[in-house]
Amino acid sequence: MIRIAATADLHFGPDLAGTIRPHLGGLTERADVLLIAGDVTRVGDPEEAVGLAKELAGLDVPIIAVLGNHDYHSDRQAEIAEVLEESGIRVLERETTTLEVDGSTLGVAGAKGFGGGVIGASGSDFGEPEMKAFIHHTRAIAEGLRRALSELDTEHRVALLHYAPVETTLRGERLEIYPFLGSYLLGEAIDGAGADLILHGHAHRGMERGVTLGGIPVRNVARPVIQRAYNVYCLSSDGSRLTD
Amino acid sequence: MSSSDPVPDAYLAEHVRDALAQDPRLSELHVDITMTSGKVFLTGTVGSEERRAYLTTVVQGVMPDREVVNHTIVESPAGEPDVEKLP
Repeated sequence: MIRIAATADLHFGPDLAGTIRPHLGGLTERADVLLIAGDVTRVGDPEEAVGLAKELAGLDVPIIAVLGNHDYHSDRQAEIAEVLEESGIRVLERETTTLEVDGSTLGVAGAKGFGGGVIGASGSDFGEPEMKAFIHHTRAIAEGLRRALSELDTEHRVALLHYAPVETTLRGERLEIYPFLGSYLLGEAIDGAGADLILHGHAHRGMERGVTLGGIPVRNVARPVIQRAYNVYCLSSDGSRLTD
Repeated sequence: MSSSDPVPDAYLAEHVRDALAQDPRLSELHVDITMTSGKVFLTGTVGSEERRAYLTTVVQGVMPDREVVNHTIVESPAGEPDVEKLP
C-alpha cells in the first residue's frame, strides 16, 4: 500500500512563518510521500517559496508539487520552482517522477492545468486571439499531461494538478466561475492515459470528492476544503488502473 | 443613469474585490463582499490574523465613506487528517 499525503493552496507568505510545520507532525508516520497541488505562495514571490521550503525542511518523506495561479502572479514561477527544487521538493510541469515504496512503484505526473469550463459549458478555440490563447494554453497542458502519464510504467499512477479536471469537485462554487476553476480537457486527457487518483486544489469552496467520467477518483485537497493541513489517500497494492 | 448618479453598490463591491486581489499583502480572491446600508460586510476565510486585519485596512482605503464590518475567520487546519483507502 502507498500512502499519499496531499494538500494545496498554502498561499505561504511571511505572516505564515512557523504556522505550517506544527500541523505536519505525524506526517512521516502516516504517509510515504507528500503531494502539494499548487499555490505554494501568496503572490508568487520567490522569497515566499524560500519561507515555505524552511517550513518543510527535514520532513522525512519525498515532496512533489505543482505550481498554481498564485505562484505565477509575479511572473517569477521559474525562480519559485528553482527554490523548491534546490530544497529537495520536486516541481512538475507536464513532467513525471517516480518513487519506490515497500516494493511498489508510484509515478506522479504533474501540471498546473488551467481553466476553460466543464462539459457542456466550455470555452471554444474560436474568435479573438485572447480567447484562442486561453483555450490553447489549457489544451497544451492537457496534452502534455496525457503524454506524461502515458510515459509512466509504474504500479500506481497519480495525476497532480492545481486546476480541477471535473465538475464534481467544483460543486459549492458559483457556476459562473467554473471556467476559471478548471477544464474538462484535463479530465479527458487523464481518462485517456489512465491513473489511479487525481489530486487538485484551487476550488476553495468546492467538494473534496469527485470522479472522472472514466471512473478515476478525484480529490480536491485545497486547504479550505479539507480544513486540515493534509489528508491521506491510500492506494492498495493490487492497483486499480483503468486503462493501460 | 447619468454620470452624476451614485455608482451602484454592486459595481463598488467589484472594485473592492479587485483591490483585494491586487494588493500584494493580500492577493485575496476568496472573500465575499456584501454592500448594504452604508456598510461593507466581509465574509469568508483568510490565512492569518495579519491578513484579516489588513483586509479591513485595504477595504477602508477603497471605501472611505463606508463602515467596514469584517466577519472573516482565520483558516485553522489543526484537525487530524482524514485517511481514505481507495480501491
